[in-house]
Amino acid sequence: MSDATYRIGVDIGGTFTDLVLLNQATGALLNGKVLTTPDDPSRAVLDGIRALLRQHDVPPAAVGNVIHGTTLVANALIERKGVKTALITTSGFRDVLEIGREWRYDLFDLQLEMPPPLVSRQNRFELTERLAPNGEVITPLDEAAAAALARQLADSDIAAVAVVFLHAFKNPAHERRVKAVFAEHAPGLNVCLSSDVSPEIGEYERSSTAVANAYVQPLFRRYVADLAAGIRDLGIARDLFLMLSDGGTVHRSAAVEYPIRLVQSGPAGGAQAASLHGRLAGESELLCFDMGGTTAKACLIEQGRPSRTTSFEVARMFRFAKGSGLPLQVPVVDMIEIGAGGGSIARLDRMGLIQVGPDSASSDPGPACYGLGGTEPTVTDADLLLGYLDAGSFLGGDMALDVEKAEAAIRARIAEPLGISAVEAAWGIHETVTENMAQAATIHALEKGRKVEGYRLVPIGGAGPVHACSLAAKMGIGRLICPTGAGVASALGLLASPTAFEFVQADMQPLDGLDFTRVEAMVRDLAARGRELLAASDVAEANMAAEYSVLMRHVGQGYEVEVPLTLETIAAADAATIADRFARVYHDLYGRNENMAPEVISWRVVVTGPTPDLSLDASTAGAGPAAKKERQVYFAETGGFTPTPVHARDGLSATDTLAGPAIVEERESTLVVPPGWTVRPHASGNLILDRT
Amino acid sequence: MTDISPVRLGLIWQRLNGMIDEVAESFIRTSFSSVVRENSDMAFSLLDRQGRQFIQTRRSIPSFIGTLPRTLRAILEVYPEDTLQPGDVLISNDSWLGTGHLNDITMVHPIFRHGRIVAFAGSTAHTVDIGGAPSPTAKDCYEEGLCIPVCRIVEAGVENRTVVAFLQENLREPDETLGDIRAQFAAYRMATEKLFQLLDDEGIEDLDAVIAEILSRSEASMRRTIADLPDGEFSDEMTVDGFDHPLTVKCAIRIAGDEIAVDFAGTSPQIDRPVNCVMNYTYAYACYALKCALDPTAPNNDGSFRPITVTAPDGCLLNARRPAPVWGRHLSGHYVPPAVFGALARVVPDRVAAESGSPLWNVYFKGRNEATGKPFVKMFFMNGGHGARPSSDGPGCLSFPSNVSNQPIEQFENQVPLLVTEKAFVPDTGGAGRFRGGPAQRLSFRSVAESPITMTIRHERIVYPPRGLLGGGPGSAGRDLVNGEAIPAKAQVALRPGDVATFQTPGGGGMGPPADRPPELAAADRAAGLVTSDGEAA
Repeated sequence: MSDATYRIGVDIGGTFTDLVLLNQATGALLNGKVLTTPDDPSRAVLDGIRALLRQHDVPPAAVGNVIHGTTLVANALIERKGVKTALITTSGFRDVLEIGREWRYDLFDLQLEMPPPLVSRQNRFELTERLAPNGEVITPLDEAAAAALARQLADSDIAAVAVVFLHAFKNPAHERRVKAVFAEHAPGLNVCLSSDVSPEIGEYERSSTAVANAYVQPLFRRYVADLAAGIRDLGIARDLFLMLSDGGTVHRSAAVEYPIRLVQSGPAGGAQAASLHGRLAGESELLCFDMGGTTAKACLIEQGRPSRTTSFEVARMFRFAKGSGLPLQVPVVDMIEIGAGGGSIARLDRMGLIQVGPDSASSDPGPACYGLGGTEPTVTDADLLLGYLDAGSFLGGDMALDVEKAEAAIRARIAEPLGISAVEAAWGIHETVTENMAQAATIHALEKGRKVEGYRLVPIGGAGPVHACSLAAKMGIGRLICPTGAGVASALGLLASPTAFEFVQADMQPLDGLDFTRVEAMVRDLAARGRELLAASDVAEANMAAEYSVLMRHVGQGYEVEVPLTLETIAAADAATIADRFARVYHDLYGRNENMAPEVISWRVVVTGPTPDLSLDASTAGAGPAAKKERQVYFAETGGFTPTPVHARDGLSATDTLAGPAIVEERESTLVVPPGWTVRPHASGNLILDRT
Repeated sequence: MTDISPVRLGLIWQRLNGMIDEVAESFIRTSFSSVVRENSDMAFSLLDRQGRQFIQTRRSIPSFIGTLPRTLRAILEVYPEDTLQPGDVLISNDSWLGTGHLNDITMVHPIFRHGRIVAFAGSTAHTVDIGGAPSPTAKDCYEEGLCIPVCRIVEAGVENRTVVAFLQENLREPDETLGDIRAQFAAYRMATEKLFQLLDDEGIEDLDAVIAEILSRSEASMRRTIADLPDGEFSDEMTVDGFDHPLTVKCAIRIAGDEIAVDFAGTSPQIDRPVNCVMNYTYAYACYALKCALDPTAPNNDGSFRPITVTAPDGCLLNARRPAPVWGRHLSGHYVPPAVFGALARVVPDRVAAESGSPLWNVYFKGRNEATGKPFVKMFFMNGGHGARPSSDGPGCLSFPSNVSNQPIEQFENQVPLLVTEKAFVPDTGGAGRFRGGPAQRLSFRSVAESPITMTIRHERIVYPPRGLLGGGPGSAGRDLVNGEAIPAKAQVALRPGDVATFQTPGGGGMGPPADRPPELAAADRAAGLVTSDGEAA
């Protein structure tokens, strides 16, 4: 890649499309930001790339590849803008998609609404066929009926079809046959098979996943084709890669087969950025904390990699409540998301106490201090009143904040009803939202059998660094790694991600008596498919690595744990080693072992290319103005407002160390350093904060 | 700390909530009981020295609302405060002292600090087996399993071997039950550490002032809510299937100023079949229904429920006396919320729902799996249609008032020799109305075993379907069939190889006059096939 000096990462967010251009030879990073174009998101991407290349005088031919993180898939599901889709199921089961799991996500709300299925009942069809749990055919597929249905749908306004047969993850023959019949009788229809999209056990979740994939696929295919053509037209010879939800990237040709795997494409970039910054600072156990305007997300990074899960929910209908969205069985970075952002609204609850979020003033009308008509106090208003944010330097001074409006809102809605000062009320808002986030992240870690205390916090997002120290203190975390450019972290994360593709294949069996011959053939086949995909993404065979693991539990348990294995262990039919590894992982998570038989639920294979070796250029440190300002900032530790030095991030030299209280400002974010914390620059350009 | 600022109180309260959720989560993660893990069939609480609950896990299920204080007070009668020492854990699963059946084990642990009790940590968790031979035809509570009287399972940090030995010898899965019990001991230690950390951080000796504020603010909030309702007495009466003859559930709600009294006078006497309900369970579900209708955000603490009294005549179906069998307490207890809603509908019709297809339906399948050579017992849950709401249709097949999810069919078929041949909505089963009740579902199971499978069935709403509200029509009644022939709704039935059992849950009741149904909703129902052209909804 001698001519490919540059790589570009593009992350589309709700308001802005962020771009980073990395010079691979020097490590220099150039950022760009353009307004997102919701009607056609590719326009902002192409305009942004064109502007960035022109601004820095980079010839398009010198760009190696463009890696893209997109919210297109998530938005199409949230806004229900996919194509009209049909579902074909085993006879007797077309309503599984609507019946769901039958539990209420809110115990007390009698008026709760369940998410309507993406396919309405009249577009759900049944075919006669039945497989046994072991995959044997009990009732053969009625092919004549399949052909008739294909012809019927070809003549309708249906644009995509999902096929979900019971136990098809164990034997895809009937689903594949339907696809073949459709190819013959309804050649224009986009057909997705559950055994391809999500070969996992659980008919409802698999149906939901296959349907969502079918629903967004035509849109996504068109979008990617247009974008790829646009990039070629710009003169960038190489191709477009996309970020998957689990933090791997793939060539566009693989991405369009499984668009549902891009549902968390952007947030995965943020987690990868945190991993990168941790790696550069020599830390591998991290808690990535991404706080924006509407929500906060937290993700554990272990051994330098974002932790993953294979279950996700998109388009939650109610207050981010688990169970109120559409479940997806796809590999994703495991994140918790709560309604706690800069725009989160503070109010008094029925107990007469401060409650923050989960609803947000978002960008319209926005926090009261934006002066756009918002009258409800938000977290940003509180942060402004406390001196954490500066009225004159928000977004580099491009957006003046109105302290009086912030104070008026807090006074009217919180302080006066409580009979306290506006500053006390602001402190209450700040602490309440921080405690919300601390609890959510702590419980998220506990659910994974982890304790947050041992992790380093990496704050990103516009509001992350404002709350980071206070959050860390509440969780018992003593060290922070604060990256530069926290506001465009996701785009950089795209560049830091390896090309990788993951397969999960369900195959429920007791470990005792496991059919290893079949399992070995199966995982070898998955690895071969992964290698093919990576080869198509320009990864050389020699640079590919395959990782194997098995999801296991004790018979009768409801949770699986992931046990890493080698192919050799599988090939040697070494059940004893697997049992031993399982016992170790289980003990690690739960602190004990059970005297019960283990069973295997599914197998996981990830084929990975090399992780890009990014080194960032920190030589800009100290380049900015060293002039220090000072302002009054509120700290509980000092009992109130304290004169606090304000540093410009790019004005800090590579050797300066600071002690709190201090404020470090950059264009898109502000780092608040309370008393009791020290700051030192790291060679990577990151700041390391330690609690003394 | 007599005068605590609202900001500080809010933060401490929030921290207590987070702390108890963390404790519960770490227990759930290690629990053996599948209903604990998958349906949060457990509760953790903090209570003060008077046994007043001030914090409860947000995830716990309705039947545990407000029962722990009652259990703790009963325990303190046996072991008064001055007999307790640091490291003690007291236990009981007495149906009358706890949540109404033996499978829920309740324990409490005094948290001592500087020589005095600052709080009690308490928990209730479901255990899968409690010994005995519970059957749908049980005549008294002694058939239902092992009753653990109030006793000290841990004395000053040392397990009482006698108590443990009794458990060990009377349970089918003692390791699992004891494993869960010991996991709760660990959770109490965690709660203690976190509570001490909080006290240290705040620089306070105890929580007395905080607790007083939490309880009084919660109480004041509930009183304001009730005071906004018109005074008066509103009642409802429903007829339910019962065991072999219909029974009556009668509910009167008296609203006077800022207090509510719920009384079940007029309800049928208890019967000698396991459909009776103890007072604690009746209380929990009455409070639950009021919370849903009046203030879904009210915290679960003694303050919120202080303005509410719940009574039922001694010896009636909803306040059964020993030794009544109570194993299937939900078969009457799940009628409490619809009875409360029926009465409330006369005063706040916009805050209740029509009747749902509950009590919860389930089937125990018991037999032998030739493939593995092992016996199996498997419980399968299925929910009916949800009742219509004031401004929307009832969702199809949503669990109410309990909150129990189904199990994936693909997993079920991997575990037992049964083939599910359908799981589908049944047209014309949701009650007609301005807003329609949720449709029922039908499930059929074909035995692919080589020997008979015993099904234990305890189903309600076969005779008396869920009622509609405010002019809405009833949902459809439930049906139990084997090979197309009706079978008894509360019985053990053998399913022979090749037989097909079919269960159709009840449909939800409708709300408001059917004539007022918006035409576009009616058209959508017909297009979806949920209402057929030749019939209005059931």
